[in-house]
Amino acid sequence: MDQYKLFIDGEFVDAADGKTFETIDPGTGLPIATVAKAGTADAEAAIAAARRAFDSGVWSGLDISARIAILQDFADQISQQGVRMVATECMDAGQTIAYAKLIVTWASLLMRNLSTYALTKFPMEEEILASGNPFSPGREYVRREPVGVCVGIVPWNFPTALAMWKIAPALIMGNTIVVKPASNTPLTALILAEAAKAAGIPKGVLNVIPGPGGELGKTLCTHPDVDKIAFTGSTEVGREIMRMASDTVKRVTLELGGKSANIILDDADMDLAVEGACVGTFLHQGQICESGTRVLVPSKIYDEFVDRMKKRAEALRIGYQLDPTSHMGPVVSKEQLATVEHYVKLGQEEGAELITGGKRVEVKGMEGGYYYAPTIFANVDNKMRIAQEEIFGPVVCVIKYDGDEEAVAIANDSIYGLAGGVFSSNIARAERIARGVRTGTMWINNYHVFAEYCPFGGYKQSGVGRELGHWGLEEYTQIKRIHVNAISDRDTNYTFTFMSDNKKLAGFTYNCPTAVVAGHGSLSSICKAIVDLGCRRALILTDPGVRKAGLTDLVKNALADFCVGIYDDIPQDPDLESVDGATAMARELDADCIVSVGGGSVIDAAKTACVALKNGGKANDYLNRWYALTEPQTPHIVVPTTAGTGSEVTNIVAITDKTAGRKLFIADPRITPNAAILDPRFTMTLPKDMTVGSAMDAMTHAVEAVCSIMANPICDGQAFHAIRLISENLPLVAADGKNEKARLNMQIAATVAGWSFTVAQVGLAHAMAHTVGTLHHVPHGAACGIVLPKVMRFNVDHATSKLAQVAQALGVDTKGMAERDAALAAADAVEALMKKVGHPMRLRDVGVPEEGLPICAFHALADSAILFNPRPTGNPGEVLELYKQAY
Amino acid sequence: MSLVTLDPGAGQAVKSLLSERGIQGPVRIELQFTGCCDPSLGLIVDTLRESDLVEELEGLTFVISPETHELAGEVRISCTDEAGRNRFVLTSSKPVGEWDGLITCSIRM
Repeated sequence: MDQYKLFIDGEFVDAADGKTFETIDPGTGLPIATVAKAGTADAEAAIAAARRAFDSGVWSGLDISARIAILQDFADQISQQGVRMVATECMDAGQTIAYAKLIVTWASLLMRNLSTYALTKFPMEEEILASGNPFSPGREYVRREPVGVCVGIVPWNFPTALAMWKIAPALIMGNTIVVKPASNTPLTALILAEAAKAAGIPKGVLNVIPGPGGELGKTLCTHPDVDKIAFTGSTEVGREIMRMASDTVKRVTLELGGKSANIILDDADMDLAVEGACVGTFLHQGQICESGTRVLVPSKIYDEFVDRMKKRAEALRIGYQLDPTSHMGPVVSKEQLATVEHYVKLGQEEGAELITGGKRVEVKGMEGGYYYAPTIFANVDNKMRIAQEEIFGPVVCVIKYDGDEEAVAIANDSIYGLAGGVFSSNIARAERIARGVRTGTMWINNYHVFAEYCPFGGYKQSGVGRELGHWGLEEYTQIKRIHVNAISDRDTNYTFTFMSDNKKLAGFTYNCPTAVVAGHGSLSSICKAIVDLGCRRALILTDPGVRKAGLTDLVKNALADFCVGIYDDIPQDPDLESVDGATAMARELDADCIVSVGGGSVIDAAKTACVALKNGGKANDYLNRWYALTEPQTPHIVVPTTAGTGSEVTNIVAITDKTAGRKLFIADPRITPNAAILDPRFTMTLPKDMTVGSAMDAMTHAVEAVCSIMANPICDGQAFHAIRLISENLPLVAADGKNEKARLNMQIAATVAGWSFTVAQVGLAHAMAHTVGTLHHVPHGAACGIVLPKVMRFNVDHATSKLAQVAQALGVDTKGMAERDAALAAADAVEALMKKVGHPMRLRDVGVPEEGLPICAFHALADSAILFNPRPTGNPGEVLELYKQAY
Repeated sequence: MSLVTLDPGAGQAVKSLLSERGIQGPVRIELQFTGCCDPSLGLIVDTLRESDLVEELEGLTFVISPETHELAGEVRISCTDEAGRNRFVLTSSKPVGEWDGLITCSIRM
């Protein structure tokens, strides 16, 4: 009789206590080999070897291509052992030889194919192109790293294949493993160990220790050096393993029991369905966890189906498993045989109708074997124990139903959710049912079909995690995120400012990609801009006022054949519905770019529509996200009709959600428009109050950008020039709206201020303005202007030098002044400019009630703009005082 | 040889579970929870059958079919307190599966 030893640390060894056990051929009931019986000491030795091998890096530290090369050799070695393995699998597990040939061949194929997939397609490293965190730029990526020491506990029904389900992904991903085969079927796992040794897999990487689960299980599942347990077996044992593993928080993959439903529809091909029901249940004597042991059959074909299934079951040949004519072999053990008999008896007591089988079978010359006839119970109630508990033998329950919904309900009435089948000539109907059944696998017009790239695992009490395919490989990895700071400098680290008195950030990233064409008649450049972007079909987005003023037609005429339509329903404070309307029209017209003609509202709506067009769905799918887009959006060209928001060059939008009553944002460099055309003719008709209000929005952008903790020399230069241009040109356009040169300068000022703040950000004035805008509908520019001087004075000791330079840009002669006085003079100069151009000076002038100020203070503190203010504040009292000053 | 032995506390735990549900009746030791991890032994409140083997212990009636007794031999019942709920571990002189001693069960009512 053959003798097998344990495989620990690269050597075949006896058990520490010298114990052995016999393994039995279930077809004869006779022993076929003696096997070393591992005990606790052996389990500990195997774990220690696996730990040493893992920690040494001899396997986990190999480049994956080197690892895969060795594993391909391993697959070759398995193939060389093929005949021996097939015969051993048959004699150990009772698989018929025809089936065992497929299963054992699959073991080497599984290793070959999964390892090639891991080498060529599995993302061992993945770049995160959009991190979502604008405050800490840098490279972000994830690495897949091995988990460590794995334990694979393998059942007796498919000893070779299920061992490989664990060994292959574990070793491919760089782990080491201790395999405990079932005590009924220990042999082929030890042959796999021989193949591994012959292939040169380093010692300790694979260890195989047959032995009783009740004794070894506790050590394997609680040992602190074990990182992961992969188990295939019963739900009851799986539950205990999960509980034991929880003490040291090990990762677990559990592939557990099932009571799968095989649903026959009334339009099924009867020959196919009967065969599917019989194979689904009786293959490998029903000892397959996903067996379709509940066959659900509609009332109107029930009697005919049961009759045909009975005939088919009675035609199956039961014989010794090495006889190639046998359809079915023995069950695995005398205990399993006894359990099957127990449940058959139980079914009869419960009132189910035994149609066929229900008895042992004697095979001539093999009288000691554990053979049982294929058994069919009809008229089974799904509540019966035989329909709810896993029998794991050739026993099927045929259950009657009426209607597809009832079939799905019965299928789902189980603690298990492993697999199932649907047989129908209507694939759409079958897929609807398959989607409704809560299981990890559903086969349509088929059963028991596996493939190495397709996942397997259960819902509910059928398991945790998945084996096979990409998903199975993932289970044997840990995810490590690596962040590489874009600027390695203490003073350029936003997170570090929380524990520092220096809130100002030194380094910066400047990326403002919008192409700008400016000047009288610059609209003529729009077609060149379109073709430069590779587009031909532009949809114009605008608002009714701009269209009425004739500005939209100017653009339409300039676009000529490139214009495919005009959407002119963008309101002030654009909402989700208007963006979705524009997006729908663009889709309908097959537009490949957007031209927005209008102020900040139109531009923001267009930016959002570009995101929805590129990515599908609706505007709301993309709002309230920061730095989430990973590729260029639908091209966008802007023709501004106001000079204030700078939205034509910025990376942020604000859209109103009318249902929720709040503003939603996108902040992302990918939404920055591709081109802006600053043609002063488009702002000539802007009324004075809007001209002045939008100008103060731009002024506030510029002043807050230079004072921001994110300020930098590039943005400073832009902001100071914007302040200068506004200071010089705003009085001119306020006095004469037809002054085209001044209008152009104001457009340029707004754009330059936009560039400045899209990088440097804004501050408390914007936080306060957003709040009174949202709560009391104060136009944004007007709100900014009113609160800006108050905030400048509030910040005076935290941005003294910058504010003093603002004063100079505003035309204040600061020569001889103390720097702080010069800084304060900047605030005075802003107020003087506002008075000069007729800007409202107090919140009461724009409809804000005094009693509303306290709540505004609280809301302003929650606005993200406050994060960048040079003077930190979290005190609502301070903000309320500023509102009162502005009141 | 006795059919069943009770570890200290096991009998009281069985009584508590039965009285919580207001159930009386023999407790059957049976084969259950099969699957590819071998069968195991479990407990269920059941009726007495003619062929049953019966053992009275600590005021409780345990029954077992002759077939199961032949397979398992003497059954020992111990109690384990798992998250405040009594569960039972059934081991037998002739283990019915390799996970004998590791699986816990409640009493099926």
